[in-house]
Amino acid sequence: MAEGRIGDDIQAQLPHRYPFLMVDRVLAREPGRRVVAEKLLTSGEPWCQGHFQDRPLLPGVLMLEMLAQAGGFLEAESLRGAAVFLAAVQDARFRGPAFPGDRLQLEVRAEGSFAGLLKVKGTVACEGRELCTATLLVKRA
Amino acid sequence: MTDLKQRIKAMLIERLKLEGMTPDQILDDAPLFGEGLGLDSIDALELVLGLEQTFGVKIEDEAAGMKAFRSVQALTDFVADHAKA
Repeated sequence: MAEGRIGDDIQAQLPHRYPFLMVDRVLAREPGRRVVAEKLLTSGEPWCQGHFQDRPLLPGVLMLEMLAQAGGFLEAESLRGAAVFLAAVQDARFRGPAFPGDRLQLEVRAEGSFAGLLKVKGTVACEGRELCTATLLVKRA
Repeated sequence: MTDLKQRIKAMLIERLKLEGMTPDQILDDAPLFGEGLGLDSIDALELVLGLEQTFGVKIEDEAAGMKAFRSVQALTDFVADHAKA
């Protein structure tokens, strides 16, 4: 399974579902090392209603969630049924906004793991522009 | 060995952001986790990565970590035993 789209491989790997599934496609996947995935923002996203009413703008914290979900594809096995939690967010930088219509590229690299904790570095980019960079620690219970 | 211990203490302070601490304030025999320095599981991962990057020493599993992370002295002995010459 090198690539996946909503409805097949993606839902088999992640327990998340609408409206909180934030990976649409996996472009590259090296378990334990690196994942590149995509999320297409549409004007039908639930947050568009209120963030903000006349100027929909992706909440920055959702970029962190997107990176965490993309990180779920670093695991070789399916995470369905597994409890996965964010343990820490470090050095998060938000460098630019994202809007409905944007095609976001989510790239995560594994930095290392110990005792059930995984450290990943992630970048959200749109058309080559870095929108968000952060280091996440994820705990698999 | 004393020099290695100082380098390990300096790495602990830098890597775990023990702000305001100096190497001399970290006791050789104080436990790293719980009592003592009061580190948690997130610090343990940072410490494992720091040991790999700074000293080229790999902590293979939790059992090895439990032993090596008992105190600065235990960690110094572990690094001295496992560091590449």
